[in-house]
Amino acid sequence: MSLSEYTATAYRYFSSRRRLLYWVTSVLILLSVIAFTGIRLEENIEAMLPDRGSRVAGDFALLQRAPFARKLVISLETDGEGGNAVLVAAVDRLAAALDPALFANVVTGPESQMQGRLFNWLQDALPSILDATDLEAIAVGLDEEGVRQRLQENYEQLLAPEGMALKGLIRRDPLSIYLQGLKKLSHINMIPQMRLVDNHFVSAEGKSALLLAETPIAMTDSAGAETLLASFAEAVDKAIPGNISATLVAGHRYTLANAQAIQNDLWRILTGSMLALLVLFFCFLRSPRAGFVFLLPMAVVCISAVAVSWFFSPVSAVTLGFGAVLLGITVDFGLHVYFALRRGGAAPEAIVGELARPLLFGGLTTMAGFAVLLFSDLPGQRQLAVFSIAGIGTALLLSMLVLPHLIPAVGPEQAASSRRWLLRIRRQRRLVLGIWLLLLAACGWQSMGLEFNGDLRRMSLTPPELVAAEQNLRQNWGDFRSQAMIWAKGDDLEEALVANEQLFALLQKEQPDQPIISIASLLPSAKVQQANRLRWLNFWQGAQGQRILADLRRESAAFGFSEVAFSPFFKTLNVPSQPVTLQGLRQAGLGNLVDSLVLAEGTAAEVLTLVPDQPELANLVEGQLQGAVQLVSQGRFRREISAAISHDFFRFILWASIVVVLLLLLLFRRVGKVLAALVPVGTGLIVMFGCMGTLGLEFNLFNIIACILVIGLGVDYGIFMVCKSTEGYSGATDKAVLVSGLTTLAGFGALVLARHPALHSIGVTVLLGIGAAIPAALLVVPVLYRGEDI
Amino acid sequence: MKGLLKTLGIFVFFAQLWLPVGAWAGVSGQDAKVLERLEELSAGIETIASDFTQEKYLAVFQEAMLSSGRFYFKSPGSLRWELTQPVVTGFVLKGNEGHRWHQRTGRSESFDIDREPVMKIVAEQLLACAGADFDWLRQKYKIVVEAQAPVRLRLDPLFETAGFLNYLNIQFSSGGRYVQMVEVHEADGDYTRLRFENVVINQPLAEELF
Repeated sequence: MSLSEYTATAYRYFSSRRRLLYWVTSVLILLSVIAFTGIRLEENIEAMLPDRGSRVAGDFALLQRAPFARKLVISLETDGEGGNAVLVAAVDRLAAALDPALFANVVTGPESQMQGRLFNWLQDALPSILDATDLEAIAVGLDEEGVRQRLQENYEQLLAPEGMALKGLIRRDPLSIYLQGLKKLSHINMIPQMRLVDNHFVSAEGKSALLLAETPIAMTDSAGAETLLASFAEAVDKAIPGNISATLVAGHRYTLANAQAIQNDLWRILTGSMLALLVLFFCFLRSPRAGFVFLLPMAVVCISAVAVSWFFSPVSAVTLGFGAVLLGITVDFGLHVYFALRRGGAAPEAIVGELARPLLFGGLTTMAGFAVLLFSDLPGQRQLAVFSIAGIGTALLLSMLVLPHLIPAVGPEQAASSRRWLLRIRRQRRLVLGIWLLLLAACGWQSMGLEFNGDLRRMSLTPPELVAAEQNLRQNWGDFRSQAMIWAKGDDLEEALVANEQLFALLQKEQPDQPIISIASLLPSAKVQQANRLRWLNFWQGAQGQRILADLRRESAAFGFSEVAFSPFFKTLNVPSQPVTLQGLRQAGLGNLVDSLVLAEGTAAEVLTLVPDQPELANLVEGQLQGAVQLVSQGRFRREISAAISHDFFRFILWASIVVVLLLLLLFRRVGKVLAALVPVGTGLIVMFGCMGTLGLEFNLFNIIACILVIGLGVDYGIFMVCKSTEGYSGATDKAVLVSGLTTLAGFGALVLARHPALHSIGVTVLLGIGAAIPAALLVVPVLYRGEDI
Repeated sequence: MKGLLKTLGIFVFFAQLWLPVGAWAGVSGQDAKVLERLEELSAGIETIASDFTQEKYLAVFQEAMLSSGRFYFKSPGSLRWELTQPVVTGFVLKGNEGHRWHQRTGRSESFDIDREPVMKIVAEQLLACAGADFDWLRQKYKIVVEAQAPVRLRLDPLFETAGFLNYLNIQFSSGGRYVQMVEVHEADGDYTRLRFENVVINQPLAEELF
């Protein structure tokens, strides 16, 4: 018994048991709705990033730990009136006005007592942090003349009004050895163009000030972001005078802008889509029973979601949202059933039976297209594959088994009103083929310029004012938020510090002019510290040190210094100094820095170095220290995602094509028919690629999926048209394909109206692909295959 | 760091010059009258020009360090302090902008007091003193009259001095119009004595001085 006979038999079987059929179907749908409410959903973007231990996923996690990744950055700018004092006062007022429940740990400058504590710490730390090169520099600088010069400076400083404040420092360090230590501090300035004014962060040109804060509101929480920004605006109104502007730069602004854009888009898209569907309904359907066709996607959404939850937990909310939209394509199955039954010309079971084969293979090819996503590295795409397969499969079953009972057949065959204009065009065989080939050639050529972009930010809306704010921030403060991060890892802190030292030494040697943010020079490994201390003692007990000390004693007497003048200094040379520790750095006022650059969880530890995000630095580090350190950067992350998308795209297209061709071979068993069935999808894809290349549109995570949708639907159109053209299939195929295509354009093409880049890109992809596949199916397939009136 | 400490030292030095006196609640009746009179006299000061000699008695030196120089003040907000013997060095402040120089090293640089926290405090205190902002100074010091003829005051700081300033002694001229001598006593027993001579009040000062 053939598939047609099975389907016809099923129709006959349920014709006398329709109540049972409806009841069982309703219960199944109801149960799926109940099960759906228990599914655990996850809203973050990680589902759209590669997993399975991929480097991209690891890099994404590390990027989230960048020192400024989760900080709220507030920049104040003055028009210059009132100078720094007005700016600094505004910073303090704003800091006080910010709601502490939303803006925690507000920082306007270093800790007020930090400078004094840091200096004392530095003097104590010198024996542990100065290396052989530093001691060599000290020895060179402190020849007899050098010692005399330092003492001359000390003498003059003590003579000056500031002498009283400097006296303690001079007694502890008459040779200004601390200057060598100060150089080490230059590697911990995370904001390159920052200077301190009245202990506040002020930009180099003095017209901007900076506040940093943290917030408990998650970056993906759009409602929370709205509250945060409203609170910020209120604080600014209250605390900031008119000649000063305040800008908040944080991921929350992107979240809110995107949420608002999507909300606005939804109204525009839904309105456009509904109007288009209504027009289609009144033009082609005109029957209340056609409403059942449009209920198909709704009936299968929850079933699909439950199917996903069987394989994945938690389920990505992005996947479900996108998948629910995708299931709009299942309307096509219903439309074929509807038009076939409404056209009549045979017994309902015969019509349904005849429809079964193209319908099943159309559904299978679409499912096959999505099935390749099961092999994606992106968990979200794998979930989408399961969701789509389950949804399409269920919709297929409902279309073949349930829907025919809801749509009564009309009996005698009705003439198709659209047929006449189609026939007229198909008679212009050469013209149709000529235009088609020209279009393919032009689009094929233009598709060479198509590019892939994996930048996640390119898939979200970036308002111009936010772009300007980011640019302004970079201009005033340097690009401190997008540096490359290099993590030196170890089973314990010591091991991580050793790796960090190797990294620092490499960067200093190979790229000495690059600004490097590293704690290596202030926190060497215990082993290096011990060696430094030993070298320090040996230095002062050795010939060079003894010569310097002799010079110091002699010259100090010549300047009139007393014998006890530098006794604190001599004492430090004889007492073993304490090692530098994380705790010591925190006590010196560098707690924020330590917490940003050193991560110790349990026994394992990671030490962070920040460098400019440049490929040559990445190559250097990974070439020489592979395994010991891990480099991540936004630039490279974008390149990796882009490469992954590009790789996936070609893989998916290839596998989808292979599976689709195999299914078509199974269906038609003739190469000619298979090629003809591939005309709509081929045309759709080439036109889509060509137009996108011409318009400079890039492929991203979302429109790749839309591309698979075009493949699935395009093949469906091809199958139905080839069946109609070659196998005498008598359903209202032209009309069904046309209306299917138009409903897809109404549903997905309407997304082109969206301002949101992700939605817009899906809309463009589908509009171009399906927009080209429909005429190819309706005109080229019949003309190409038979070239006669069909 | 030295810049910070330097400005802190400058602050300590200047904070005791041209001392303010004002509404002296909590001061004995006789002392209050003395202070009120000083307040009246200093309130009319527009410019000051003076030589000074400095004696530093520091444990780090075998003998006292002697030096001398010139001091200028012009209301509102300008001052010049220069050492001429045994080294030539000094600085000028005009509002927020400053300039410092050193003859031996040839170093000469401008600075902004907003960028140098302690210099900012110096300027605030100095301008408060020179501009006769007695309310402000009363908040910063506990002031005691130690002698009345000539007037000698002791000022104990009420603010954090990083541990090096203990107290100040100020001695006024016999007429009470200007400061004749200042002693800055440090916590470790060291002290600095400044004697002001050839003091000229309210005479025009050349613009280029500032």
